[in-house]
Amino acid sequence: MTDAMNRRRFLKILGVTGGGAAALSGCGIGPEPTQRLLPYLVAPDDQIPGVATWYATTCRECAAGCGLRARVREGRAVKLEGNPDSPVNRGRLCARGQAGLQGLYNPDRITGPRLRGANGQLAETTWDKAIQLLAQKVADAKGKGIVFVTGHETGAFGDLVDEWMRAVGGRRIAFESFALEALREGNRLAFGTAAVPHYDFAAAKYIVSFGADFMETWLSPVEFQNAFTRAHAFAAGADSSMAKYVYVGPRLSLTGLSADEWIAAAPGTEGLLALAMAQVIVSRRLARSPADATRLGPSLAAHAPDKVAAQIGVDAKTIERLAREFAASGGGLAVAGGVAAQAANGAEIVAAVNILNYVAGAVGRTVQFGPDLTQDAAGSYRQLAALRGDMAGGKVAVLLVHGANPAHADAAFAQALGKVLFKVSFSSDPDETARAADLVLPDLHPLEQWNDARPRAGVYALQQPVMAPVFPGTMHAGDAILRAAGRTGTFKDYLQTAWRDVHRRHGGGKSFEEFWTAALAHGGVYTEIATRSVRLGPGAIAAMGEAAPPFAEGDATAVVFPHPALHDGRGANKPWLQELPDPVSKITWHGWAEVHPETAGKWGVVNGDVVLLKSEAGEVRAPVWITPTVRPRVVAVPTGQGHVAYGRYAAGRSFNAFDLLPGEPNRAGGRTFVVAVKVTKTAEHVFLATTEGNAREHGHGIVNVLPLAQAQRLRPGKHVFEAEETPAYARGAEEGWAEAQREMAALGGYAGTHPRWAMAIDLSRCTGCSACVTACYAENNLATVGEELVRRHREMSWIRIERYFTGGKDGESLHAVTTPMLCQQCGNAPCEPVCPVFAAYHTPDGLNGQIYNRCIGTRYCSNNCPYKVRYFNWFNYAEPGGEFEAWPEPLQLLLNPDVTVREKGVMEKCTFCVQRIRGKQNEARLADRRLDDAELQFLPACAQGCPSEAIVFGDLNDPRSRVRQLSDNPRGYHVLAGLNTRPAIAYLAKVTAPSGGAA
Amino acid sequence: MTKGEWCMWGGGIAVLLLARPVAAQGGPAAPGFRAPVLSQSDTGKLKGPRQPIFFRHDIHAGQDRIPCMYCHYSAAISSEPGIPSVQTCIGCHQIINGTTDSHRAEITKIRSAWRDRSPPEWIRVYAVPDFVHFPHMRHIKVLGTDAASCANCHGEVAKQPRIYQVATLKMGWCVRCHVQRKVTQDCTACHF
Repeated sequence: MTDAMNRRRFLKILGVTGGGAAALSGCGIGPEPTQRLLPYLVAPDDQIPGVATWYATTCRECAAGCGLRARVREGRAVKLEGNPDSPVNRGRLCARGQAGLQGLYNPDRITGPRLRGANGQLAETTWDKAIQLLAQKVADAKGKGIVFVTGHETGAFGDLVDEWMRAVGGRRIAFESFALEALREGNRLAFGTAAVPHYDFAAAKYIVSFGADFMETWLSPVEFQNAFTRAHAFAAGADSSMAKYVYVGPRLSLTGLSADEWIAAAPGTEGLLALAMAQVIVSRRLARSPADATRLGPSLAAHAPDKVAAQIGVDAKTIERLAREFAASGGGLAVAGGVAAQAANGAEIVAAVNILNYVAGAVGRTVQFGPDLTQDAAGSYRQLAALRGDMAGGKVAVLLVHGANPAHADAAFAQALGKVLFKVSFSSDPDETARAADLVLPDLHPLEQWNDARPRAGVYALQQPVMAPVFPGTMHAGDAILRAAGRTGTFKDYLQTAWRDVHRRHGGGKSFEEFWTAALAHGGVYTEIATRSVRLGPGAIAAMGEAAPPFAEGDATAVVFPHPALHDGRGANKPWLQELPDPVSKITWHGWAEVHPETAGKWGVVNGDVVLLKSEAGEVRAPVWITPTVRPRVVAVPTGQGHVAYGRYAAGRSFNAFDLLPGEPNRAGGRTFVVAVKVTKTAEHVFLATTEGNAREHGHGIVNVLPLAQAQRLRPGKHVFEAEETPAYARGAEEGWAEAQREMAALGGYAGTHPRWAMAIDLSRCTGCSACVTACYAENNLATVGEELVRRHREMSWIRIERYFTGGKDGESLHAVTTPMLCQQCGNAPCEPVCPVFAAYHTPDGLNGQIYNRCIGTRYCSNNCPYKVRYFNWFNYAEPGGEFEAWPEPLQLLLNPDVTVREKGVMEKCTFCVQRIRGKQNEARLADRRLDDAELQFLPACAQGCPSEAIVFGDLNDPRSRVRQLSDNPRGYHVLAGLNTRPAIAYLAKVTAPSGGAA
Repeated sequence: MTKGEWCMWGGGIAVLLLARPVAAQGGPAAPGFRAPVLSQSDTGKLKGPRQPIFFRHDIHAGQDRIPCMYCHYSAAISSEPGIPSVQTCIGCHQIINGTTDSHRAEITKIRSAWRDRSPPEWIRVYAVPDFVHFPHMRHIKVLGTDAASCANCHGEVAKQPRIYQVATLKMGWCVRCHVQRKVTQDCTACHF
């Protein structure tokens, strides 16, 4: 990076290339305005105008520590992708990671230091004054209570804060809304260690999740999802097998959508179910249990299936079957967390699941202690509650907050803030905590700063600035602290000093400079950690006695769960995440309350009716979404919304589910997220902005599901869905079409050999996580249109995840199938012949091209598209200050300069990221080589990001390409094939393991 | 000596040494081409927009025969030809003062820009709309990097005292060439 770049210059340089940044003249008619070209003063070594530079860094949107590669064009980051070198995410990235860019360029960021003036308002100040004041206030407060609250910090920044706090006589606590205290406590109870082990999903042959939402917010979602699909996907390989996946919990979450079987246990009884399964395994000797497991026998007897079945709400036979399947698989993995571990008895539930893993012999195999996750750095709610007490009691003189927003997550904390004499926030977002602060020292965005993270033992992930700060008035919190502490050097020096230690251990004989450069290029240093064995601890048996929930299932139990995209609310000011439909409910821009149809009937509510939920701690007003994915009498509400500050996209939106939660920590030191509520219907009604068309697919052949036994019988070359291709009445038309194609091919650019770009989407891999959707928004300059326009179905999502339910009626178990729906690049496209101006046309390489500057907006193409994957610009979303402006300054800086920004009146659609295809072709041509299938497989943004590797791209005309092989798979089918549209996308039917007793 | 200074001096010396032999590879201006001496009144008649510095391609590319790629180095590897950094100018003009008063006046401007760290704001001459993606490198790959190749679209820059747009840059102009050369006429080659 050039240090000689300030914001003014940075903006000027954009003018050199114009590109997407100069969005206004997009498809303008008339003379181009006079453009100015601003040369660099000194050309940076690592930047060529028009060519992307990639920097490896680490994602800080959650604590998982995924490796990132940031694509930088002309000095600005325009796209984030996973770093393939990182063992955490293996080059994949979730929706929240993709949206990191919208935090970087967020229009509501605080641009410089702010100090509360005599009039009570925050006013601008200078860094010198601000840091001097900070140092003075901290010095004055010595002995009167200094507390620094950070987020989940696992690297040098946390160490620096600790050092500083020790020096000034203060203390640091970490606050994370979902700190998974119960997971650590449960491991301590069962094994005597509070470490969080590595869960080897990839090696599992039978997976049971007791409420752990491991594909959305639990520990390391991208890593787990990737590994999960390796185990669970049906690959017609040597053994044609797949791991069965059972989800246990009162609510079917995104993670639950992939389940082969859903056990809707009563809230808080997950532990009882795990113990009952363990009892069956031990008493019937179904698995080779470790020797000391036998002493569990007598205590387990009390949890025999027939004794606890009624309380769990699952019959004893099912429990016994699950236990047998789990043990017989020879590679079971049970995980607990999420909603289950957040009940009052969360730790005991985790301990019970540990016991199940232990007796089934999974500990040491699929549950590996050693490469432990650094979850202890997440702190606990007990610490926050204690701090809140100290604050209220006037025992805290100076409070400093960085990387956490406790004032949003805890209403009592927000109140107690008033009792603290001097509050300092290092947030660069105007969140609730920053709003209450006396001094705001806005930190750099993680993409602009040096830092590191150690998400698990053996993984040292580095963070480097990928560009100069968007707002030069912000300062690295580490630098500010070093200055306030009177120390010399920058945070980068501090970080490098810390890394000299890593170099000593893992340097491999290289000099530190070599080691450092290599670490920067790879995004960190990754080492293998040996596993260690654990034994059942003394607390295990005692914990079994406490496994039952300390509450009875009442008339209504609220389950508060983390929103998959907005998480605890930190994503709420990013329009990509607000507009991303929740994978289960498909609701955007708003919170909701999931209610079972039976319960809804009892309460007399319909979709959108607002109910008042009242717990002992507080109340929220939430619109109802009626769904079969929740247990009767359970109301599931997401966190994430209900901000009173935080920015234009977040503030004043919907409700804050944290208000329902008790302020006192539970036995595990964590917060209780399962609470009894009173429900009252109100007169209010909300028109929910949902993208769900129909919850069921009604046999249209959009999704196909094969039972495992049938899938195993498939033979190459025999398509099960063959009957759906070319119905008899269409044969004549098809022959005529083929003849016309041959004639057309003789003309112009269509002659000769061309690739046929195609895609294969494996539904047995797709989990519905929607990472592809956000990746597409980022790559293709898709506008976010806002809640009102989503209600009118004017969202611009070129790729959407359709979620359909199957079963669930007449005693059948409920299943969900998710499928990405994007332009099918039809070979015989209905959109093309109806365009009066040839804006929609067929390219020689088989794409349905859409030429924006030709388009006159008749919308005939969209009308004629059976897949509904064309999107019309109803407004000028790029217009600065416009009513539906999608990229207010400086958000427009994230626009991809390789893609035109579309104007009002233009139809737009997916073209398999044609800019990336052309880029690769240019690259190959310059090097005088042919395109290789390996570099094409994950070329489009959706395929590149997909954590499950469900989307594969390539040339259908290349018989050796992966996409061709997948398209020829007997599970393959085309959506609405009967229309003879000849799609380029082959979907591979989902395969489900048997859910009933048929196993 | 910092890295920046080294590049500056090294680059300046290199171009002085290389200018003649490299330029001898070919170019529209014959050896011995002398750029005309222009008076103040002449500049008003020149085509093309007036630039903040009266940079004369006819002197640099014509008379001095500096290869196009010396300044516009990224044209062969990127879609963007790149505007040379001020450092590139100073590389030579640290030691080259100009021969006439008017030359000296213009050279002083670039030196001030370097000293004040404020690059000149050039007026863009060749521009295509944002919905067109023109890959320079693909064209140079086929046509070559010498001045005669660049002249296909940019005309005889080596004889232009001030740069003006010689081609319409309209789509018909692009397509005519693509038809003649039997190369792609697919819309998504440029429009996406």
